[in-house]
Amino acid sequence: MNIIEINHLTKTYGHARGIVDVSFQVKEGEIFGFIGPNGAGKSTTIRTLLALIHPTSGSAKIFGKDCIDFAPDIAKEIGYLPSEVFYYDNMKVSDLLKYAASFYKKDCRTRMKELVEIMELDTTKKIDDLSLGNKKKVGIVQGLLHEPKLIILDEPTSGLDPLMQQRFFDLLIEENKKGATILFSSHILGEVQRLCDRVAIIKEGKIVTVEKISNLRENNYKKIKIEADNASDNAFVSIAGVNNLNVDGNLISFIFKGDINTVMTKIADMEITNIWIEEPDLEEIFMHYYESED
Amino acid sequence: MNIFMREMKAYRKSLFIWSVGILFLIGASMAKYAGLSTTGQSMNEILTAMPKSLQAIMGTGALDISKVSGYFGVLYIYLLLMATMHAAMLGATIIAKEERDKTAEFLFVKPVSRTSIICAKLSVAVVNIVMLNIVAGISSLYLVGTYSEGESVKADIILAMSAMLILQLLFLTIGSAIAAISKKPKLAVAISTGILLMTYILSIAIDLNKKLTLLKYLTPFKYFEAKIVMNGGGLERKFIILSLSIVIIFSLITFVFYRKKDLQV
Repeated sequence: MNIIEINHLTKTYGHARGIVDVSFQVKEGEIFGFIGPNGAGKSTTIRTLLALIHPTSGSAKIFGKDCIDFAPDIAKEIGYLPSEVFYYDNMKVSDLLKYAASFYKKDCRTRMKELVEIMELDTTKKIDDLSLGNKKKVGIVQGLLHEPKLIILDEPTSGLDPLMQQRFFDLLIEENKKGATILFSSHILGEVQRLCDRVAIIKEGKIVTVEKISNLRENNYKKIKIEADNASDNAFVSIAGVNNLNVDGNLISFIFKGDINTVMTKIADMEITNIWIEEPDLEEIFMHYYESED
Repeated sequence: MNIFMREMKAYRKSLFIWSVGILFLIGASMAKYAGLSTTGQSMNEILTAMPKSLQAIMGTGALDISKVSGYFGVLYIYLLLMATMHAAMLGATIIAKEERDKTAEFLFVKPVSRTSIICAKLSVAVVNIVMLNIVAGISSLYLVGTYSEGESVKADIILAMSAMLILQLLFLTIGSAIAAISKKPKLAVAISTGILLMTYILSIAIDLNKKLTLLKYLTPFKYFEAKIVMNGGGLERKFIILSLSIVIIFSLITFVFYRKKDLQV
């Protein structure tokens, strides 16, 4: 069953592009990644799903109901964490959480307490006095305290330290096991790869592809940089899967896709002084999708 | 109900400050009257000797300020200006602030319809302006009563305060409608107070120039004038109907436009 169904959703702001003809489905129980660079249209899509803005054309359904017409009804089972969290500054954390809980017709106190403990949140402080990371924690707690069936996260990890990020991911996995569906938007490929089953990749307002993470893994790109005294590109030119080969002084760099062993044996034969093997950033992955389209 | 309570709490302080302001305005003015009344008729003579334009700007005009009712009539214009200013700003901010403070992404993803959010917010605003009106009414009755020297002003003050409430409601809904329509939430307050000041200036212009009399329908400050109300003229029915129609229209605009609005976040 599809929890989210987006059909040809388009949103334009005057002449500015928002999103164009976006369609994808998120199945029940899935952790679905939504990935793209800043300004690609992730937040626009999410805000339309949440009925904060209205689509120019197309439609979207959540739990089988139109996301605009039945917004208040759907919202009962949605937990949302925005990319930038803003709350009523002069409120205390505990008051804000109580206020958030008061919108749901169930007793959220136990879950709220648990979440506060997991995220190590000091509820006696005023929102105004919180750091960005702590505000984000408030966001997490208030988004999850009613145990929603659908969790929508818009770049949720910014501002969280690695430890809290890990706890947050554990929390999400736990919620997912309990049956929650998760839509996770991010511009960081690593975190999406770690968490998600499938991803939709969006660029310049359009969906480039919807893929299983396992497929993306098979297309595993590596960015390799080698420092060697007598650097030349001869060794690598002949290998299939080497792209963007570049020699600069004694630095060789290229992007590689394929069986990593073929490159490693070549490198093993060389006298090298240093080596870097990195995940290419998202832009480079996008380049792949654009190149393959041409 | 939770939104209502939350907003009531959020506006507690502001209401208190405005009430103190109103109280101070009435208190200070009436203390001045105490000094003025001892000079008897002479103050009136000075005022009538002033150019008509200056009289219009100060709001004295046809009022006999040696009598407490006339003096209150002048004070009433300033009370009105203050109370409607409060109402216009309140109407605009209570609607626009969720977008301005970026809390829209909190409130509007909760399981409540926009209509009920606006309903709760407007109710809070109405309670606030009524309370300010009561503060102004009670302190006027008390302080003016102290200097009335037998002149019966109670009924006129109550009438003036009802007129004030109608105009407060009117500017409240103008403010909320502008906030609902406006694409830039930060500008909503500026636009609403701007409109208020423009209509006020227009009301003075009408006093200065008889040819503009027909424009009186455009400025609520001309609907219930102190010189008529305080001289036993009461409230004109056509202006009551006109005001309440404007209130209804602008409330509807607020609801309709806000429901379709793309929230700025």
